This record gives sequence, structure tokens and C-alpha cells, in this order.
Amino acid sequence: MNPLKRVVALRPRLLAALLALLILPIGLVSAPFRQIERINILMPAPFADATRPLVEQFNRLHKGNIHLDVIRGPFETEAISDLAISSLLLGDTPFDALLMDVTWLPKYAAAGWLQSLDPWFDASDVETLATGAREGNTYEGTLYRWPFVASMGLLYWRTDLMDQPPETPEQLEAISVKLQADQKVPWGYVWQGRQYEGLSCVFLEIIDGFGGYWMDPKNAAFGLDKRNGVEAATWLRHLISSGISPQAVTNYAEPEALQSFKVGDSALMRNWPYAWAELQKPDSDVKGKVGITTMVAKEGSSSTATLGSWGLALLETSSHQDATAEAIRFLTSEQAQKQLFLSHGYTPVLVSLFHDQELIKVNPTLPKLAEALEHTKARPETPLYAQLSDVLQRELSGVLTGEVSAEQGMKNATKTSTVIMRSAGDRR
Amino acid sequence: MKTPTRRLLIVLLLSWSLGPLLWQLYTSFSTNEALITPFANIDHRWTLNHYKDVLTGNPPFWRYLINSLIVGAGSTILTLCIATPAAYAITRSRGTITKVVQTMLIVAALFPYVLLFLALLEVARSLHLGNHLLALTIPYAALSQPLAILLLSAAFRDLPIDLEDAARLEGLGLWSRLRWVLIPLIAPATASTAILVFLFAWNEYPIALTWLSDSSLLTLPVAMARIAGSSIYSVPYGAYAAATVLGSIPLIALVLIFQKSIVSGLTSGAVKG
Amino acid sequence: MLLLLVPAAILLALVFVAPMLHYVWLSAHANSVLTGLVPIPNQGANWIRLVSDQRFWQDAGQTLRFTVVSVSLEVLLALAIALLLDQRWRGRGAARALTLIPWALPTTVMALGWRWIFNTPYGPLNQTASLLGVAPLNILSNPAITWMATVLADVWKTTPFAALILLAGLQTIPTDLYEALRLEGASQRTCFLRITLPLLKPYIALALLFRLAQAFGVFDLVQVMTGGGPASSTESLALYAYINAMRFLDFGYSATVMIGSFILLLLLCLISWSFLIRLQHRTGRV
Repeated sequence: MNPLKRVVALRPRLLAALLALLILPIGLVSAPFRQIERINILMPAPFADATRPLVEQFNRLHKGNIHLDVIRGPFETEAISDLAISSLLLGDTPFDALLMDVTWLPKYAAAGWLQSLDPWFDASDVETLATGAREGNTYEGTLYRWPFVASMGLLYWRTDLMDQPPETPEQLEAISVKLQADQKVPWGYVWQGRQYEGLSCVFLEIIDGFGGYWMDPKNAAFGLDKRNGVEAATWLRHLISSGISPQAVTNYAEPEALQSFKVGDSALMRNWPYAWAELQKPDSDVKGKVGITTMVAKEGSSSTATLGSWGLALLETSSHQDATAEAIRFLTSEQAQKQLFLSHGYTPVLVSLFHDQELIKVNPTLPKLAEALEHTKARPETPLYAQLSDVLQRELSGVLTGEVSAEQGMKNATKTSTVIMRSAGDRR
Repeated sequence: MKTPTRRLLIVLLLSWSLGPLLWQLYTSFSTNEALITPFANIDHRWTLNHYKDVLTGNPPFWRYLINSLIVGAGSTILTLCIATPAAYAITRSRGTITKVVQTMLIVAALFPYVLLFLALLEVARSLHLGNHLLALTIPYAALSQPLAILLLSAAFRDLPIDLEDAARLEGLGLWSRLRWVLIPLIAPATASTAILVFLFAWNEYPIALTWLSDSSLLTLPVAMARIAGSSIYSVPYGAYAAATVLGSIPLIALVLIFQKSIVSGLTSGAVKG
Repeated sequence: MLLLLVPAAILLALVFVAPMLHYVWLSAHANSVLTGLVPIPNQGANWIRLVSDQRFWQDAGQTLRFTVVSVSLEVLLALAIALLLDQRWRGRGAARALTLIPWALPTTVMALGWRWIFNTPYGPLNQTASLLGVAPLNILSNPAITWMATVLADVWKTTPFAALILLAGLQTIPTDLYEALRLEGASQRTCFLRITLPLLKPYIALALLFRLAQAFGVFDLVQVMTGGGPASSTESLALYAYINAMRFLDFGYSATVMIGSFILLLLLCLISWSFLIRLQHRTGRV
């Protein structure tokens, strides 16, 4: 037999041996890891960075069983939703859970992408949440999201310029006008008037404070062009035209408002809880002279704080639902919230933490935040929220710059919103 | 034009074309401190760290280049396989058919294909073509057809008809004529078509954006956009500049090497189209 | 013989014709997250919405502005570049290759680059401004000027393409024409106006039409460079259609926006076409 033929004859055995050599180590290596459940949670970059120590703790705790990876998504809120949606639309998403903004929930839930959290979180768990944190987690009665960090609109005021913060729009005007006349501050009140989501948050607080409403998702009714809605829009325009707020407020987002208040240019500011820490920094001209309260409201109406919160939602496609629920529970546990509050100042969502002396020592505004959480309101809970908010921002921006009257603007916004609902298939 | 004026214009032209790229190159080698205070006197001005970050990221950057290479090569081959016979058929058809087809092809070539993404997304959703690099070559090959057919049919038309008649008399069938006589003769046109198609597939964005979501399968343009999404508020642009430089090198090389083919492809399209 | 055309024809029909027909059908239906992404007829509600949609018309205006400004700049600049590259000088071949580079790069790559160049306050433009004592300009967050930055980025990227087409045109002009005119004592300017420009006109028209259609569909650049912001001041129609589908999950309306954009593009092409023809009549034969 010539040598070549011998090799050929040997080939099957050779091949088998080679295959065995290849497969054996794979089997050996993979055997101990077989039970490990690898789960991925997508978060915006800042949250992913903040939770890194927690993820390490979780993985140490569940070593050999669950391995949690937090995927560091884009910074921008919209970009992270785009990323999640593009993978969900294609039908094979690598994520098991998603850290989502309060306004996304109805859209994701209606699309059928979310798994109900009811099997893992019951009524007694909900009891542990602060009142405001209980909102924005359900869609049509089903729990889909567990809150991770709370946020709400606040009214910041200068304790050195006034004894009491204003409670009504009239008081806000009176205080501002007096302080401006006395040349204590160039501006009375700064807020977010740019055409973007922040403007919708500002308006929600004012329209509710004027006794009106933006939208009732239950019957798809809009209250923008009702008397209170027009009054609210008129009042915001009045703030600018009467010089209580600077003309430039129509181009202000949170950083610009904060900047103006921080250098002492303004007596009052609307902003979120994060601003407090910024105002206590050494470079702040108002350090130690700042108080917080909730937004002004007409007599007879209650003060409203727009709810802005992030929470974890389990994706329906996840094949590790128990493990992911476990991770969600860990990341939102009392100990985790405490840690995040101390390291990054994240507002907790659990009732117990708002009265924790250790935390209050770090941030004395905590009881005030707890109070504000009693006044929170979610933005309209409809899958079409993003479009409706865009319409409102557009019309309001026109009202604020004086291009269109408040009445006309609110009328347009209502009409356009109804048209959108109909074209998207709303049959009410 | 006088020589000094011309020289000035040439310098202007080149700095306009290359300036932004050179700035990226400079940024990619600069430390973050140097970027924030470019005119200050600092010790650590230069660094290779941005490249290290990009190349050791998860997934590493070369992965995107390979993905783009796979999609580009696959689309090019598929496009040529379909476009060559079609181009031949058009040149040998009766005048009116040629005219009609040609007009339609020009319209299709002009069409802003971004408007097709939604329909293509629905195709990907219903046929489960998402997150497959080679599946992406199907829409790419389709979108490249107009340009490829126009360029190749122009080349076929330029061949003397006697040549094919001679081959026919030799007893060669249609397939053999194409394979042994005609296709070798239009090789230069095929090459420039191939490069243009490759460039299109390498650079295509909206369809890749909707067909790919798995981060290890992204093509270069989508990966760059995703990097951009996470950079809005952060100063360190160094790593992103390093990514742009790495992403540009293959194409710059391609352009410099195949300059002649690209130019002849584009211009013959313009002159004859 | 025509059998050879079949694969290409099928592919083209599937990718170009079928989607447009599908959009027409889709635009008569509600197909959004509210309907579970299942189409339900909605009696033209999408079209009613389109007509009164401020954002659509704002984007249409912005897209038109972007298209007209950047295409005119591109063609003018391309003409200058083509004239320069058509002359004989040492290193011309290399220069041609180098000017082609911006065109060959993926748009998203340089969109990211431009964002850094326009960055406030660390980008080179604002650094230079601060060196000259000028206050930094928030180029990418000022709705009044951001669109100009996108035009600049687009002109930078696509001018080489237009320049190449015009260069090809220049090279078809026989040199004896110039010589003949020059013998009559005509100046360089006269030569350009009487020979170059008239003979180049079909190529200019070609470059114009090509770029018009592409610029009108601008997507990559704005999506990466500005995301359509600030306050949707740089949003193009294509981006709006994309946002409707991928962000708002409203496929029915997204399709309507696309057909609306397509109709506007057709109108734009027709208008520029008749304009070009009228121009040709006025200046005589090409």
C-alpha cells in the first residue's frame, strides 16, 4: 500500500480522534458554567457608570448562577430608546431588561414588548414605595416597570430674598416684581421655555396648577383649549412679556436656568432635584441661600410636580426572566438606593429612606423631596405621548415667543393632537 | 491662469478637502488636556491611548471594518453577477426597449433610496433577515443595479459588433461568447463598477441601521453613529477621532489606489448617461 | 435574450416599485403602536394629518432650504474645482485623487468629525474665536445657524462628485474651439462665457439633478451630526419619516410622510427641469 493511500484509509479514525480532541475540552470547559444565566440590562451611560459597584456586588452574590452585565448605552434619552426599539423591532434583542424613562412605558407596553412584573412584585412591595414613585409603572392596570430613581419638578427659591416661597401665581408675580423693583435681582423667575421636552414638563405643572388638565388618556380628551389651559399658557407668556422672566427663557433648558439662578440673577427657578447639589458647590453664588418647594398653584387647585423617573422593565423576549427579576430587585433594593444616593445623589423611591437620618445629614432637602413626591403627576400615559408632547412644545413655543395668541395656540395643539390620535388608529 | 494664483488655489483646494481630516488626525493623537487647552503649554500633548481604547473596545474596532468588508465584497459580487447579463441584454435589444429601460434606470439611480428603509425593514422583520451580514447584500445589490447596469451596458455598447459576430461564426453559444469574449473585454468597466458598488455598500447607512442591531455585527457607518450617540456631553473626543481615522484609512487607500477606475467609472457614467 | 434581464428586473421591481406601492397602501391605514402594528383602514386620516402637520411642512421647508443652498454652492464650487483640475500642472493626478477623498468617506464618519469641529467651546472654530477674543458661538445649539453647519458639511462631502462630472464635461470640449476664438482676440472671460459654459451646460444639469435628488433625501448627515435638532431646526423629511417609524412606532404615518416627500421631490425636479430648459432657450443652443 502506498503511503498516501494509507493516510486516506486512516482518515476516518484520524478525523474522529481530531474531533474528540476538539470537543472534549469544550465540554470540560462549559460543564461548570452551564447553569450560569447571563443577563444584560441596557442603561443610559450615566446610570451604567453609577451602578457599576452594584453590579459587581450582585455578581459576587450570585457567583456561579447569574452574571449581570449592564450595557452602557448612549447618553441621550432619545438615543437609548432608539437603540432599544431598533433591536425590538427586528425581533432578537440582546437585552433582558431596560432602564426606561417614565414616558416610554405605555409605548413599549402597548407594543407588547414588556413582561408583566406581577409575578415578582406584589402589593406589599408597592406599599414600600413613596406615593409619587408608584405612578408611571403600570399600563392598563398591569405592572411593567419597577422604579429605580425618582425625580420631580421643583420650585427653587432664595431664602435670603423672601421669607416664604410663593404658593400661587399671583404671589410669584408680586414677589418677583417687588424684588426686581428693589433691584435685588435682574429677573424674578427662570424656567425651561425652549422647544423641547422640558417645556412640556413645565406646562403640565402650570396647567394642573390652574385647575386644568393636558390630556385624560382614559377617554382621549384634551384639556388644552379649555379655559384653564388657555389661562395657563397666557400666564407663561405674561411672565416673559412683563419682564419677570427674561426674553431668553424661550431658549432655556435646565442648564441655562440653573446658570442664571446659580449666579444670583434670579429669585426663583423651576428645576429638578439634581440642581440642589449644584447650587451648594463652592462656585455657587447662592450657596446656603436656597430653599425648595413645589410649583405654584391657583387657590383651590393643588400644586403639581411633573414626575420624571427611571425604572427597570423586563423584556418579554428575555429567556432569563427569574434571574432578571432578581437583578431588578437587587438594583432597586433599599441598600442599593442608599448607596446610589450617597455616591450620586439619586433621589430614592422607598418611603423608608426619606426619613433616614444618615441620608438627611448628607442632603437636608430629602424631607422636602418626600413632600414633593406627594404632588407628582405623570405626563399623559398614552403610547403616543412623544408625538403629543412634540405638538404641545411647538405650539407653546409659538405662544411664548408671541407668534401666536395663547388661545389660538392651545386650540391648534388640541386640534392637531386629535388628528394624530385618529391617524394612529385611536377609535375613541 | 498665472502660476502663483493657481498655486494659491491649489493650496486652498487641498486644505479645504483635507483640513477636516487632518484635524481629526491631530485630535486622535492628542491627550484630553491638550484638546481642552490647545494653546497652553502642557507636557503630555501626544498619546496613543485613544487608538488603544478603540482597538480594545467591546467589540474591538477592527470588527466593524471586517463586517463592512464582508458586506461590501458580498454586495459587489452579487451586483455584478446580476447586472452583467442584464447589461448585455439591454445593449442587444431593440432600440425602443433600450431607451425605455435606460430612462427607468436613470430615474432609479436618482431616487433617494433612504425613502425605502421602512419597506425594507418590514421585509427584514417578516423574513427574519435582521442581523445577518450577508442578507444585507440583497438590498445593496438591488440598489446598485441601476448604476451597475448603466455603466456595464455602456461598456458592452462600445465593443465592436463584428467581434461578437465572429465569435458566433466560430460556433460559440451565448454563454461562451459572454464568458470568453465579451466579459474579459469589458474588464476595466467591470472594475470601476465594482469599486463604486463596494464604496456604496461600505458607506450605506439607513438600511444597515434598521437591519442590524447586534453590536458585534454593525457595519462601520452604523458603528460610528452609535459612537456618536454616546458622545454628546463628554469632552473626550479623542477616541472618536481615532475611530474616524481608523474608519477612513481603508477608504483613503482605496481611493488612492483605484483613483483611475473610480474617475473613469463616474465620468463615463456622466458622459454617456 | 430578455431572460438575462429577469433577475435584475425582479430585484429592481422588488426594491423600487413594490415599496412605493406598499407605502401608498400603508398610507391609507392606521398602523401604529396603538393598533399593535397591524394595519387598519383609517379613511384618509393620515393624509388629513399630513396636510395640517406643522412639523412636516417645517421639515419640508428646511429640506428645501438645505437642498437649494447646498446644491447651488456645490455646483459653483465644483465648477471652480473642475476648471482648476482641467488645467495642466504637475501633481494634478495626485491632487485629483486627494480631492476625491471626502466623497469616498462614509457620511457618518465625518458627521462625527464635524460635530467635534463645531464643538463649543473646545472645537477648533471656537478655540480660534476665543484666541481672537470673540465669544464662542453655540453653532450646534442655535436653531438659527445650525443648519448652515450641516450645509457646510454636505458641501464638503459632495462637491468632489459634482466636480468630477463637470471635469468629464470639460474634457469633451475640443481645444481647437478655444484656439479659434482666441485668434479673434477674445479674452479668457469671453472664452469661458462663449464656449465653456454653453458646452458644459448638460453636465451642469446632470450634476444638478443628481445632487438635487440626493440632497433632498438627506438623512445620514443630519441624523448623526445634529439628530435633527436643536428644536428640530435641521430635521429633514427623511429623518422625520424615520422618527415616525422608529421612535413613534407609527408606520402608517411614516409611509404617508415618505410619499409626501416623494411628491415634493418630483415637483422640485420638474420645476428645476423646466427652469433649465427655459435657460437653455434663452441663451440659445447648447
